[in-house]
Amino acid sequence: MSQEAVISIRNLSKVYRDFWGRKKVNAVKSLSLDVHKGEIFGLLGPNGSGKTTTMKMLLGLLFPTSGEINVLGKPAHDVEKNERIGYLPEESYLYKFLNAEETLDFYGQLFNMSAKERKERRDQLIEKVGIQHARRRQLKEYSKGMTRRIGLAQALINNPDLVLLDEPTSGLDPLGTKDMKDLILDLRDQGKTVVMCSHLLADVQDVCDRIAILYQGELKVLGRVDELIQAKDQTQIISSELSDDCLSEVKQVIEKHNGTIHSADKPQNTLEELFLSTVQTSIERPGRRMVMEEPSQSTDQTSESENTNE
Amino acid sequence: MNHDIIDFSLQTGVINYLIILSITLAVVLGLCLVLSFLKMGPKGIGRVFQNLGNAAKDLASTSCGRIWAIASLTTKETIRKRVLLVLVIFGLLFMFAGWFLGDSNERADLQVKVHISFVLTVISWMTLILSVLIACWGLPGDIKAKSIHTVVTKPVRRHEIVMGRIGGYIFTLTVILLLMGSVSYIWTTRAVSEEAQSELICRVPHYGKLDFSGQFGGRVAEPEQKKVNVGDIWDFRSYIEGGTLARTWWSFEGINVSKLRQQEAMSIEYNFEAFRAHKGDLESRLRCQMTLINPESGLRAPLRPFEVVEYSNRSADKTVLIPETFTYREEGTGAEKSVNLFDDLITADGRFEVEVKCLDPGQFLGMARPDLFIRMPDKTFFSGFAKAIFGIWLLMCLVIIFSVTASTFTKGPVATLLVVGLLMVGATGLRELMVQLIQGTADGGGPLEASVRMWTHMAPTVKLDPTLFNRIMMGSDQVIIALLSAASYIIPPLETFNMSSYVANGFDVPWSATLLPSLCIVIGYIIPALLLAYFAMRLREMEAK
Repeated sequence: MSQEAVISIRNLSKVYRDFWGRKKVNAVKSLSLDVHKGEIFGLLGPNGSGKTTTMKMLLGLLFPTSGEINVLGKPAHDVEKNERIGYLPEESYLYKFLNAEETLDFYGQLFNMSAKERKERRDQLIEKVGIQHARRRQLKEYSKGMTRRIGLAQALINNPDLVLLDEPTSGLDPLGTKDMKDLILDLRDQGKTVVMCSHLLADVQDVCDRIAILYQGELKVLGRVDELIQAKDQTQIISSELSDDCLSEVKQVIEKHNGTIHSADKPQNTLEELFLSTVQTSIERPGRRMVMEEPSQSTDQTSESENTNE
Repeated sequence: MNHDIIDFSLQTGVINYLIILSITLAVVLGLCLVLSFLKMGPKGIGRVFQNLGNAAKDLASTSCGRIWAIASLTTKETIRKRVLLVLVIFGLLFMFAGWFLGDSNERADLQVKVHISFVLTVISWMTLILSVLIACWGLPGDIKAKSIHTVVTKPVRRHEIVMGRIGGYIFTLTVILLLMGSVSYIWTTRAVSEEAQSELICRVPHYGKLDFSGQFGGRVAEPEQKKVNVGDIWDFRSYIEGGTLARTWWSFEGINVSKLRQQEAMSIEYNFEAFRAHKGDLESRLRCQMTLINPESGLRAPLRPFEVVEYSNRSADKTVLIPETFTYREEGTGAEKSVNLFDDLITADGRFEVEVKCLDPGQFLGMARPDLFIRMPDKTFFSGFAKAIFGIWLLMCLVIIFSVTASTFTKGPVATLLVVGLLMVGATGLRELMVQLIQGTADGGGPLEASVRMWTHMAPTVKLDPTLFNRIMMGSDQVIIALLSAASYIIPPLETFNMSSYVANGFDVPWSATLLPSLCIVIGYIIPALLLAYFAMRLREMEAK
């Protein structure tokens, strides 16, 4: 995997203020992280953790109070970066009075695509997200799942290098969720970078290469999913054709009884377990931070570190 | 109708505009620099110039394709939100209007006036209300529904959104206006009774300059001293006394003789007011006489005296038709002579004079500059009507520009109030009052002084004692008036856009007095409005709050 940083965030903070300029909430606190080219990056956190604020700052919808954001080598407020970005908002805030064809045509026009190009891309995407049967229906008549699909289609209209997805699988049925996950994996296979926010941890675990968990605006966990959910103090043996008697004597007994050991390695927890334990720890020990890697380091050089600033 | 002839100089207008725009921009830039410095220190100054640089870069990257896309979206949005239903209301109004307007006036000229005024008033009100409602609520609605998030995360520049929105609204409302205009034209031409059809005209007046002389004669360059006021509060007209040497002269320039030759005659229309100082002959009207003069050769050709028609708005009743060749009796000798109007009385460069005198001793004839004009060949009623619709269209464009601009930094209800407020100040007498306050011609002093006078029941003409309180109050008034003075340059004079009175009175809508200034006002407001809207959109976070 290439280590070129597509998104680079340094000491990013966001303070929401009231009408009189008084501090209301510190939504993001000194956040630093990199997203590398060609990976699927998950931004997790409970409600109010600052993940949507971070994503909106990446898109230039919100302005940082301090810190720097570089997206595709340009500052977040630079409109030119949007040429190579696709964004699926949380609720697919599309124009409900348009139908699917008109919607994609409109967004295609915003990229100055020619009529022929728009038509080709429109047909291609409608087929890809599976809404051929409803291509001429106004979006106000769409179900939530269909709205997510057309939302994704509009995000991909410009064949972007970086795709930002806010809750991509919310509201989708199991089949729709699987299709969406396949589409996300397909985007990575095409060499695109995907950043997604989600509450559906199983989905994140299935598709994300790396994740960051935020809690109350602070980065608590950053690293590769497979490494983060590995239980390092346990060993798991998976075998077959074992009788109940052999369980007590483990390896020697298996050999004694001519059994075969298929694997003997560290078992993995689920991402859900990691997430819940992170939140629990953050509540109990607010300064504790477990980051598997530093933003400036490459993923290959990932090292486990605990940063306790109590 | 504004009775005075409005002289508009494009060059002066443009120079004044550039001066005001430059001063406003300089003041705004200065304020931004100071505020940024106070907030961020020296870094703030750099930030201001960085934003200006970004704005220039964004402007250079403007894409017509994206503006077109947003304009099309806006059009679809307004149509699918059933804005066209306004045409149903319009239709209903016209279905029943005939009951009240049809025979409301037996006099043909008034009937035409009532019909045209009604039609144009309905169209302009409906268009303006609709413009404010849809243009003030569109963008805030987009921000509230967060649909704007899917647009601003594309390579769309903020001013493209504003321009697209403005374009879309203008297109939709233009279609609505054209439909209403067409229906109204057909309705007007059919609803007006047969005898009034002849009043559906579009006169093209050629105005001259007016000079007066006193009762002992003597035409002077300073006519103010020679004017006679008969006691009217309305000092629009001045009077000449009958049976004396008092005269008025209208000097015309740049007459297009070739146009007049085609109709082999020239019409002079007058609208004098008679003032009787004594009863005189109750059976007959006041008599007056016109003399046509060649200003170069001094040739004078007196026409036959005629009776002044006062109480008619029919142009035919007040028109003096002069054939190309006619005979007259030479002054002094009484000899009958023949003269060619175009060759002998109008100079080669189109100059010509008309002298008017009142023949009834002791009676007065009131005149103002627009009261006598050469009636050039008429245009079609359709052309005048179309120009009035064009005037409404220009005002509609201005309202849409204001509405969209206001909606970039306020929510729908606040934007609506802002624009309605601006319309009320710009289109009603409030602006005139503002100008009077600034010029110091309004009785009762400034706002604070006037309030105290009202509270204490003190007449506006009574002088205030120079007490400390009064001095502070009047000083504060001066500050308010200075602010009003600055605001008066920003608030557009919307009465310029009212072209319906020309059409209702059977006149062509003049290009230089009305259409050109209106067009200039709209173009002039586009630049500052776009700048304001761009920075409001660029510097705000796209979150509904």
